[in-house]
Amino acid sequence: MPLKKRLYFLLFMILVLLMQQPAFPQSFDHIKGAVREFTLDNGMKFIVLERHEAPVVSFHVYADVGSANESYGITGISHLLEHMAFKGSKVVGTSNYEAEKALFPKMDELYDKLKREHWKVKPDTALIAELSKELEALRGQAKQYVVNNEFFDMLEREGDDAVNAYTSNDATQYINSLPSNRLEFWMSMISDRFLNPVFREFYKEKDVVMEERRLSLETQPIGKLIEDFMATAFKAHPYHHSIVGHMSDLENITRQDVIGYFQKYYIPSNLTVGIVGDVNFAAVQEMARLYFGRISSNPKPERVRTVEPEQWGERRVKVRARSQPVLLIGYHRPNAGHEDESALEALANIIGQGRSSRLYEVLVKEKRIAAQTGCFSGWPGIKFPNLIAFFAISTPDHTSDECLAAIDEEIGKIKQESVKPDELQKFKRTYKKGLIDSMKSNASMASLLTLNEAVLGDWRLLFDDLAKMEAVTAEDIKRVADKYLVEDNRTVGEIIPEESSK
Amino acid sequence: MTLIKYTRQAIFLIFALSIGFNGSAVAQKGPKDEFLFPELNPIKMPEIQKVTLDNGLRLFLVEDHNYPTIGIRGQVYAGSIYEPPDKVGLASITGTVLRTGGTERMSGDEIDKELETMAASVETWIGLNSGGISASMLKDDLDRCLQLMAEILTKPVFSENKIELAKINMRTGISRRNDDVNEITGREFEKLIYGGAHPYARHTEYATVDAITRDDIVDFYRSCFQPNNMLLAVWGDFKTKEMVNKIKRVLKDWPAKPVKLPPKPEVDYKDRYTVNYINKPDVNQSNIMIGHLGGLMNNPDYPTLIVMNNILSWDRMFKRIRTDEGLAYNVWGYYDSNYDYPGVFSAGAQTKSASTVHAIELILEEMKKITEQEVTDEELKKAKDKYLNSFVFNFDSQAKIINRMLTYTYFGYPVDFADKLKEQVEKVGKADVLQAAKKYLHPGKVQILVVGNKEEFDRPLSTLGEVNVIDITIPQAGE
Repeated sequence: MPLKKRLYFLLFMILVLLMQQPAFPQSFDHIKGAVREFTLDNGMKFIVLERHEAPVVSFHVYADVGSANESYGITGISHLLEHMAFKGSKVVGTSNYEAEKALFPKMDELYDKLKREHWKVKPDTALIAELSKELEALRGQAKQYVVNNEFFDMLEREGDDAVNAYTSNDATQYINSLPSNRLEFWMSMISDRFLNPVFREFYKEKDVVMEERRLSLETQPIGKLIEDFMATAFKAHPYHHSIVGHMSDLENITRQDVIGYFQKYYIPSNLTVGIVGDVNFAAVQEMARLYFGRISSNPKPERVRTVEPEQWGERRVKVRARSQPVLLIGYHRPNAGHEDESALEALANIIGQGRSSRLYEVLVKEKRIAAQTGCFSGWPGIKFPNLIAFFAISTPDHTSDECLAAIDEEIGKIKQESVKPDELQKFKRTYKKGLIDSMKSNASMASLLTLNEAVLGDWRLLFDDLAKMEAVTAEDIKRVADKYLVEDNRTVGEIIPEESSK
Repeated sequence: MTLIKYTRQAIFLIFALSIGFNGSAVAQKGPKDEFLFPELNPIKMPEIQKVTLDNGLRLFLVEDHNYPTIGIRGQVYAGSIYEPPDKVGLASITGTVLRTGGTERMSGDEIDKELETMAASVETWIGLNSGGISASMLKDDLDRCLQLMAEILTKPVFSENKIELAKINMRTGISRRNDDVNEITGREFEKLIYGGAHPYARHTEYATVDAITRDDIVDFYRSCFQPNNMLLAVWGDFKTKEMVNKIKRVLKDWPAKPVKLPPKPEVDYKDRYTVNYINKPDVNQSNIMIGHLGGLMNNPDYPTLIVMNNILSWDRMFKRIRTDEGLAYNVWGYYDSNYDYPGVFSAGAQTKSASTVHAIELILEEMKKITEQEVTDEELKKAKDKYLNSFVFNFDSQAKIINRMLTYTYFGYPVDFADKLKEQVEKVGKADVLQAAKKYLHPGKVQILVVGNKEEFDRPLSTLGEVNVIDITIPQAGE
């Protein structure tokens, strides 16, 4: 073949190779190498992974604000704000924003008056009734301009399979999954949501959140236990209150409170976005600049300043309920990213995850005092110092005290003899497989990338932390058991059955 | 496919370039502006291989080389619907101890240890209308996992020790079955619809658990875990031909055996209006469930019901009772259809005690309204658009695709059932929805269940009709 033709042929082959999908199994390096990022001038960071297996894309917006940012009087506000983030904007969710807008200050003023009357030592019930009636009338007026759940409808109409959000102690996260040709639509909807939010239907949505508190907490014995348990384990740090917030706080939070909270925390540098799926990086970057670049930057809010001090002794909490016994134990541990993290994860897995774990072998199989038992770490959040926790669901005719004694015995064994090589292998292999499995879905991948970026400061740690896990030794586990699993460092909580609950 | 993909990329490049050159040439679109969506990239349909082994085992395989893992799911014709009424729990315990009870070669504990050290899992179960085995592993462990799976399937020993352990677990569940108000509501509502002793609603009692023997378990296992009674799907990082040979080899001593299952239970439901109450004085919120019998997925009206359900649950129940009225966090209205037995139509919510009867009235109002007036053009379009535009998500993973095929095949549905549904949903009109609502929803003949604290209700439940109080005290063993 003449030289020229050979060159063209070579070029053609190179082009063909470049165009093909990789046919080899993706190693972590391969996936890691495909992730790209950019940060807008206003500080908002985007992490993008192109995956063209199917014509779909998942979006994950991680707002670095959760219930741990709340203080007394506004517990539950992060979660309430999450609800309000679905109420639309100046454009979405309304048939006449100008008319609506005029009513909000009047409604808020009335609400304020109502509250102040309630707080009085001798509230004027007739006045309260009158003010409530006026507020209800204004609410009715504003309601006529509301397009019910338009935000949800607009996204679902375009095929959003997963429009949702959730609030945790650490963060508020918003998810969408759309056919991949809807990229610009997502950019428009979600940038509009954070640029021009309107917290309409505020009072009714508070009612909804109060029902949510009843549903997930007040009518659930375990929900009640967890609320009291956290309040006991954390005397200072805001991990001590529930995500849904105290009922009295919910009753008193105002629209202005929520607006202020939004303006303080939903600033671009506090938002991290993960986009994984059938998209083109260049297009994502250009659109993000165009749509999200409109949001003006603001100073980063102050980090939670309170640090939970060391416990001076074991703490105990009891919840009496119509329920069989439940045992919960929590030992304080450091935040994610600490050098003891990997050893603590290994400890939790070996002692309390799986049928071959120490606790299951002894409490469930051998002694038969628990039907379920285990250990989990990173609770209730991971951004701040948190807990490594143990639980036991006792079998009939056995008690939480027996379970506590048995758990203590197993912890003692680890402190004495540490763990075996095959147990270490179980942890390391489980971590690796777990990591692989968690990367399979676009939504899960987008979530993990933003989590690692926001909490640990670098999305690459999603992959790099594997090395730390694989380096854990039996000595490390013994060391952290000695250091953290100490009686003075723990809180023990239990559900005590009410007499009539059998 | 490549051409389309690069055309789309070309469009984006032009978009990008135009911004680069002209700065403000491209303006942001508002959410309600018109968007010109490029054509969606095509869905890559994987090739699913089907092989039937000599012993009758039907294999489905699809390769996926993106991750070094393998997933397996086998399903057998089985179910708790076939267990005798005095031994409720037999099917479940058989499914559990098949895995935990050990094999001729290894004890259950040894299997637990080996699997977990490999970070692999093998699980077996028997549920209401099916049973099966599933496995997940890193591809390096395929041979060992296949071997363990085969031993569990063909040489289980059902040790007395592990049977007793499973029974203790069941007894624990019984003793705790009234601790969660949601669990109470769901369980008791099913009993209202199907009948408390009916296979589709009955549950274990201490007496039925005590009555189960090892012989019962072994017989039950033999009645359904046979190769000619099993469909097995495998997906992941392997070569199909190699996998088929490995499975053949590891199951070569598992011959076909005759399987004769009893007929499925009949459901004989009579539409009626009842009001039922369960006293739960420790809650400040009522759990409400209202409904009657549902349907089957092979009903020609099923596509219309998909559209009706979306509108009823979302546009009517959620938008009004949650968003407008603030009465609940969770509220729905849904005519449920199953593959092989009638589902349940239910509407419900959880609302503070003081709005209990008010919420019930609103739910009944919405149920009635959709049977009397056509839905709006907008509601119809939105429900259909949602279904049709999100249809692509049915195909976003090999695991999803092959498991759906397995399920359709198991229940005797055509493999293209989902695609046919899509075609039919496209054609649904307002008149169809009204007709279906009239035919399948019976707002005048519903069973109402309320679990809560009547001392704090807005009005007595008796304003809705004669109240039947249900006693959920757990019968002790020997009662």
